[in-house]
Amino acid sequence: MATDTDTGRVEEFGEVSRVRGIAFEYLSLGASVLGIFALAVLLIYVTIDAFDLANANPLWLLTYFLTLVVPFLGFCLYSARDRTLTRRAVTVAGGGLVAVAVAFTLVETFVGQVPRLNWQLTYLFVVIIPLTGYLVYMGARGRPGSVGFGMVGRLIGGTAIGLAFSVLFLVFDERLWFLAYTLGIVPALLAYAYGRLRDTPAAVTAALPISILGMVLAVFVREVLRTYPTTAFIYLWTLAIPIAAAGAVVVNGRGSRTAALTAGGVPLALATAVGLFGRAAGLGVGGPNALLVIAVTGVPVAAYLHRVFDVGEGVSGLGLPVLLVAGALAGAFLVELFGIPTPSPWVSETFLTEAPSRTATEAGLYPAIVGSVIIIAMVAVLSFALGVATSVFLEEYTADTGVVGALTRLLQINIANLAAVPSVVYGLLGLGLFANLLGFGFGTAVTVSLTLSLLILPITIISAQEAIRSVPDDLRRGSDAMGATRWQTTKNVVLPEAFPGILTGTILALGRAIGETAPLIMVGAATTVFSPPSSLFSKFSAMPMQIYAWANFPQAEFRYGVVAAGVITLLIILIGMNGTAILLRNRAERGN
Amino acid sequence: MTDSTESPDLQRRSGLTRLKEGTYGGFFAACAVITLLTTVAIIATLLSDALMFFAEVPIREFLFSTSWSPNPRGGGQSFGIVALVIGTLTVTITAAFVALPVGTLTAIYLSEYATSSARSILKPLLEILAGIPTVVYGYFALVYITPALKATLFPEMSTFNALSASLMVGIMTIPMVSSISEDAMSAVPDDLRQAGYGLGATKFEVSTGIVVPASISGIASSYILAVSRAIGETMIVVVAMGAQARMPAVRETLLGIPYINPTDVLLDSGMTITVAMVQIAGGDLTGGTIPYDAMFALGLTLFVVTLVMNVLSDLIAERYREEY
Repeated sequence: MATDTDTGRVEEFGEVSRVRGIAFEYLSLGASVLGIFALAVLLIYVTIDAFDLANANPLWLLTYFLTLVVPFLGFCLYSARDRTLTRRAVTVAGGGLVAVAVAFTLVETFVGQVPRLNWQLTYLFVVIIPLTGYLVYMGARGRPGSVGFGMVGRLIGGTAIGLAFSVLFLVFDERLWFLAYTLGIVPALLAYAYGRLRDTPAAVTAALPISILGMVLAVFVREVLRTYPTTAFIYLWTLAIPIAAAGAVVVNGRGSRTAALTAGGVPLALATAVGLFGRAAGLGVGGPNALLVIAVTGVPVAAYLHRVFDVGEGVSGLGLPVLLVAGALAGAFLVELFGIPTPSPWVSETFLTEAPSRTATEAGLYPAIVGSVIIIAMVAVLSFALGVATSVFLEEYTADTGVVGALTRLLQINIANLAAVPSVVYGLLGLGLFANLLGFGFGTAVTVSLTLSLLILPITIISAQEAIRSVPDDLRRGSDAMGATRWQTTKNVVLPEAFPGILTGTILALGRAIGETAPLIMVGAATTVFSPPSSLFSKFSAMPMQIYAWANFPQAEFRYGVVAAGVITLLIILIGMNGTAILLRNRAERGN
Repeated sequence: MTDSTESPDLQRRSGLTRLKEGTYGGFFAACAVITLLTTVAIIATLLSDALMFFAEVPIREFLFSTSWSPNPRGGGQSFGIVALVIGTLTVTITAAFVALPVGTLTAIYLSEYATSSARSILKPLLEILAGIPTVVYGYFALVYITPALKATLFPEMSTFNALSASLMVGIMTIPMVSSISEDAMSAVPDDLRQAGYGLGATKFEVSTGIVVPASISGIASSYILAVSRAIGETMIVVVAMGAQARMPAVRETLLGIPYINPTDVLLDSGMTITVAMVQIAGGDLTGGTIPYDAMFALGLTLFVVTLVMNVLSDLIAERYREEY
């Protein structure tokens, strides 16, 4: 009876309106995907423009769909070995086809023409590409899939890194590198190995001074010495052989000595044969760059093959590269056979290997790509070294109290604020300090790399600090209890544990550096250069600079063609870098 | 962990070891000090040239003059920042209209409604928004957004305009708002939510009535950071907004109250502080000229404004954070 006085409230009880809550939930869900959706639409359009898909014949799309996409999806499903998944994938692909076709026709009839899009393309982007992404994710969980993707990744990654190396030698003197390697690095490695094997700490300690001495000596010898081996031999001696040796050591650690010799020797022999005699034998490829690419790709592939056969599971996954190449060839053959008109994509071999031009069809990105690769290499070295050293200091060496503690807090606040300084302001710093005051020149590789290194340094430091902080303290204490000094603990315990995290953070920060444009404009980097840079102090451009320059061209072929191709190239490189970073992080997390 | 051959040294360390330790410690400290030197160098570089600029152009004129023409053909340079500030404000405010509500709702969804699998998909996707190079966003705004808006909503829009640039800046800053706000919301202890449910509140009431107020300092600090990012944004505006410093036309209503029609500003080209800097840098960089120094004066303004906002954001996050 007591509740009677409160009847009003009691009657409301249990009658809460759900409409408002549900509306709010969907509103916030819509907000979460709004930005992603907008970006996805823009990316679809830029892809269509860059590959000229709007003019692609439907038969052309169908041919490659059947020869390339369907076998690939089949491979993913085979790897996943999941009947429900297969059934679901087929339903999505089939149902999606009908749904997209119907929806698209309805839109075209009642709303109006959708520019540069037809139902085939919509199906491709809305159904097939997300489905492929999902199936790749599911397929990679199966052993054949993970082997196949690992193989393809090593092939593509190896080629990219090999090409990047060969590009670096456009500005770095390979003869100086030859001397530095022969006089500095080889003796230092020998001393280190000797010290480790014979248990002589003095030899290990001497390795660093030896390498520095050798490199200084190399600079002097370079002035005097006039005769050098050919570039191919330099690459062979300084890069291919050590890479093969490293591969052999890795395989040796896992398996037999014969396997190690094969894994190191076969790619090396192949690289040497093609590199030195490929041109002469009429193979079409050859020369020092081919040697480098084959060595950089071949050794990891060989080591991976050894591991796959050793484990003995999912060997069938090795067929994936074959499947893809065969699919592409079969598609090309069918297109040729039936005379299906092919689209002319803006991202093409010419675009990637030619210099910029005023005519859209001849325009290329090559000098800008070279510029970007050189900047990224230098920024990577600088920001990694500085970032790791700073974060080690902040996490391992400082105290929390006293003067040092106050200094540490000041440094921390300062780093957080530096991370938020606009990039144009860093450009002004580069202009005032590096270009004008220190005289490194306007828009040279040195000025730009230093500026960008400072720009991404705070991000690198913050992520490296997080990685170091996540190393459990037990490990440090254990090392300390063994009588290790602080440096020994850092070197032997903390850094190896934190390394994957530090690397991930650095690569993500480099992704930021590769897309930065404003600081480059401020330090006077050229918008357009017609030949790749020949030294660290020559004028040069970078990919985003070139995109900026082209975006100002009013012609439609540039706006909807060349620039789109440039954007796609930049984004593919970015995706490659960030994808590598994420894979590294996932692997490290799984390892723990 | 690598295999270590260093034998444990339980006695006093040898001189060499101590030297080695000291060298490494000193090296790391030196590297850490570089970050401090960067700040000093930024301030010194900006100040030295900006002071030269203010020796030529009085600060009053710089702050209050409405005309910006650093390199006029006929002579008669003028360096008034007002028009540039209006351009920057236009972009910032419009971008904030996109980024702040969308980012807040995203944060609420991620922290309160999303399942953990949905969160693990959405969060990396949102991070992509911040990872796309800004010059690419600028290109999108110029080549896709502007024609689309022109064809549908605003036929009178000019090729270079503030609206599409601002929309892109807004989209780019969404993850900044959402990630910091979500961190703040996730930090709200579950007890508070359970208490809300215990009182009979719905999920909507708990989200908007308990979680958001409890994390308001984090949300506010994320807003300030996002706005500061929008102020310093360069390439989107350079590519898509054009480079014409202009004062908006002041109209009068029937009652004689002056007002500015937002479409005048949004649908036309304009110039922000960052664009003005890029425009000067695109020309002559030899140094010593007034436009060259003006660039540093603008940079100093930008640096001070963003720094103040970052410090403010830190202070709000620190001071008004609810301690649980």
